[in-house]
Amino acid sequence: MLAIALFVFLIGMMAFYYILRKQVDQNINLELQNRASSITKEFDAAHSYASQLSNMSDTIIITPLKNLQRAEKFSDTLLLNPETKKYVLYREHGFVNNIHGQNYYIQIFKPLEESDRLIIRIVMVMNLLVMMIILTLIVVNRYLSRQDWKVFYDTIAKINNYEVNSDKAFELHESDIKEFEDLNRVIITMTKRIKNDYLNLKEYIENASHEIQTPLAIINSKMELLLQSGDMQEKQYKSVAEAYEASNRLSRLNKTLILLAKIENRQFPELKPVNPAIMINHQLESLEDLIRSKKIKITKLLDPEATISVNPYLAEILFVNLIKNAIRHNLTKGNLILELTAQSLKIANSGSSTPLDPEMLFKRFHTSSSSPESLGLGLSIVQKICTMYGFQISYRYENKLHVMQVDFAKA
Amino acid sequence: MKILIVEDEKPLSDSMVEYLSEEGHHSEAVYTYNDAVEKIRMYQYDCAVVDINLPDGNGLDLIRLIKKQSITLGIIIISALNSLENRIEGLEIGADNYLTKPFHLAELNAHLKSINRRISFGGNNQIVVNEIRLIPDEHMVFVHEVQLTLTKKEYELLLFFIANKNKVITKAGLAEYLWGDYMDLADSYDFIYTHIKNLRSKLLKKGCEDYIKTIYGLGYKFEIN
Repeated sequence: MLAIALFVFLIGMMAFYYILRKQVDQNINLELQNRASSITKEFDAAHSYASQLSNMSDTIIITPLKNLQRAEKFSDTLLLNPETKKYVLYREHGFVNNIHGQNYYIQIFKPLEESDRLIIRIVMVMNLLVMMIILTLIVVNRYLSRQDWKVFYDTIAKINNYEVNSDKAFELHESDIKEFEDLNRVIITMTKRIKNDYLNLKEYIENASHEIQTPLAIINSKMELLLQSGDMQEKQYKSVAEAYEASNRLSRLNKTLILLAKIENRQFPELKPVNPAIMINHQLESLEDLIRSKKIKITKLLDPEATISVNPYLAEILFVNLIKNAIRHNLTKGNLILELTAQSLKIANSGSSTPLDPEMLFKRFHTSSSSPESLGLGLSIVQKICTMYGFQISYRYENKLHVMQVDFAKA
Repeated sequence: MKILIVEDEKPLSDSMVEYLSEEGHHSEAVYTYNDAVEKIRMYQYDCAVVDINLPDGNGLDLIRLIKKQSITLGIIIISALNSLENRIEGLEIGADNYLTKPFHLAELNAHLKSINRRISFGGNNQIVVNEIRLIPDEHMVFVHEVQLTLTKKEYELLLFFIANKNKVITKAGLAEYLWGDYMDLADSYDFIYTHIKNLRSKLLKKGCEDYIKTIYGLGYKFEIN
């Protein structure tokens, strides 16, 4: 853009200089012509030109011609200035005059120095003027467009940060530009619709989950009774056992979904100072079977003084899910390193030799192929809890360890 | 033991009555808050199983009422709401346990047994099953009067088995009882297997009869004739 402007500007300036030059040359030519005719008249009037020469202020060269015809001409030439001993540019007008039967070739000159200087000055001033205009235009344009596009960029930023489950109302800046207003209107309508759909869906899932609990309780209890009856054949027994197993899995899944919904609805408002070190030690005890079965070596670097202000129940769920994950996806005889400071909790574990995809990690029902039985909801819950308290959770793969880090500091 | 079951879902209530009757308890079922209040005024119970969401009232209010009448009465809350506040409130006003629906009947039974021991013997009691003697308050187990050293989980397992003797005990029920929500089902089954194997061999070593029967694909049974 700027390059094109500069190019046009350069061409324009060259053309301007050329035209100006031409114009000035023409003027000088005209002047010289006028002088030539006045000189001719004077010569005609005088008997000899010599007496007239002293009156001439400008340089004049008169050469007698011996019948040779020379054409009238205009040209630029350099003449020596006798005072400064420098060559100076002159405009020359040569013409033939017949004085008393004798042809003379007369050359008159007009210095171009002054007009040259004038042209350069004019061009320079023009240059400056155009430059200033261009600069002003650029600045004004940028300012104006920033004002206009500000609304647009604001909209983009807001869409980028839009969270469908956020309580904040989605509002956009007003704009004087119709197109932007249209865009904003469409986006606001769209987000409203999305939010409504989302809330309906959420409510539906919540209600469904709660309603499912009681029938499930009935199914489970009836099957438990059926299993006690003892007068079934082995085949029937097996069927009931499998159905019972499945309904138990369903119960667990449903409980987890209800928990997720409750975290999303912020139904765990009360905060208490929680000591993660105590909690984690207790959890490691509860998970002893799991740890021992995998022969996992645990390294604990826990700051016993560290406290965070959270809902104790959610803290429990947060830590246990992270630890359980680090054990389940660990290798046999693998390592588990727990590092707790007042600012963060770092859980590093050995495992598969390929880094995980952080994008997929926190998705619901994303299960790795190695443990198909797990629900894949654990990390989803972890993320929900972190989001709720403004904790930053991150995953990285370093020194052949999968590292999950929770930063307690609010972002 | 006389038990009052306050649960508005009749099929679930029926299941509980049936299971508990087989255990020799006398249980009565009511389906509304008002009926429950009436029953409590008229009769004496040892224990009440109370659902929090009743069609005409709140189970927590009912528990406050019950506790005013008889402080020793054991109470187990069953609720579809797994909320910490409810749980804490329930336990604060005097409930002994809080079970979230869906729960296992065997687990309910085990809790009722422990309440029964608290009421009947003021906690100073022992459970005797043939050659096994258990002192719950001190977590001690004797076989033929020789003390047995069990891990915490093995002890809990034995207690659960004895509470639900001669019943089919599912692995899922055991897992729920031993670990709650801590462990995923798939993981816990392996550990149940290991713990039971260890418990059984410890019992056998002390000359105990082999009461623990494996029911293939389903669970276990603590069989006493």
